Amino acid sequence: MNYVARIALIVAYAVLGLAATGRSTVQIATRFSEAPLPYSVSAVSAVLYAVIALALWRNWATVALVGTALELVGVLVVGTLGYVESSWWPDETVWTGYGSAYGWVPLALPIVALVLLVKERRARSARPVEESRP
Amino acid sequence: MEVYTGVVFPLVLVVSGALALAGAVTLAWPRAHKALRIAVSATYAAVAVHLITVVILLISGVPAGLVLTLGYLLASVALLPLLGIGRLGTPEAAAADPDPHRPVLAPDQIARVDAASAVIIAIALAVLLWRVLVIMEAAA
Repeated sequence: MNYVARIALIVAYAVLGLAATGRSTVQIATRFSEAPLPYSVSAVSAVLYAVIALALWRNWATVALVGTALELVGVLVVGTLGYVESSWWPDETVWTGYGSAYGWVPLALPIVALVLLVKERRARSARPVEESRP
Repeated sequence: MEVYTGVVFPLVLVVSGALALAGAVTLAWPRAHKALRIAVSATYAAVAVHLITVVILLISGVPAGLVLTLGYLLASVALLPLLGIGRLGTPEAAAADPDPHRPVLAPDQIARVDAASAVIIAIALAVLLWRVLVIMEAAA
């Protein structure tokens, strides 16, 4: 992955991490008993965003790949459950409506990150084969 | 309150727009990096003016929720160090880091990194400032 894309992803994840951390901190500190599931999901997403930003920064490719995959699954599951089982969600999370409150960035970002990380992984695994050719 | 809604908020919004524009231009044309640096400095100043204005309003008795208002204000300040993040890729910064895998960026890459972060931060900043405006207007 080129450095510009990688650092842009780090910035995007840091911003989302900051937003999710702020949101979940206020929600959990002031009214956790009203909606424990959504607020816990907000906290989980905050941790996930911070871990992915750190993994991209430290070049921990596997952690970043697993983290973004988990994030995408989380956005899709929480977004879908929000429509299918709306009674489970008395309040919104970062991933509600597939991240619509955040301009669908929580949905788009893991897709972009996964494409870039998988490309990088393929390029890395292809390199020794190419190098061994005469 | 009129000064905040009529002058300070439009000012920071315009500065955020200028930052996003300068970022987009620099992404396409890295030679505009100098203009982006000016926009970044203007953003620091605008966020400082916004912060001081809102704190003065809160102290003067606008009954806005302190936790949310101060949270959004702190978040707007916390975003600023991400502006000009390309500085971490300069040869001097890499030389000072014991990590041998620390990337060293070429000048055009530094410009593009700064540009991409400027676009992201400009959007996030505009959203945060708008949230503060909503809270302050509701309280006034």
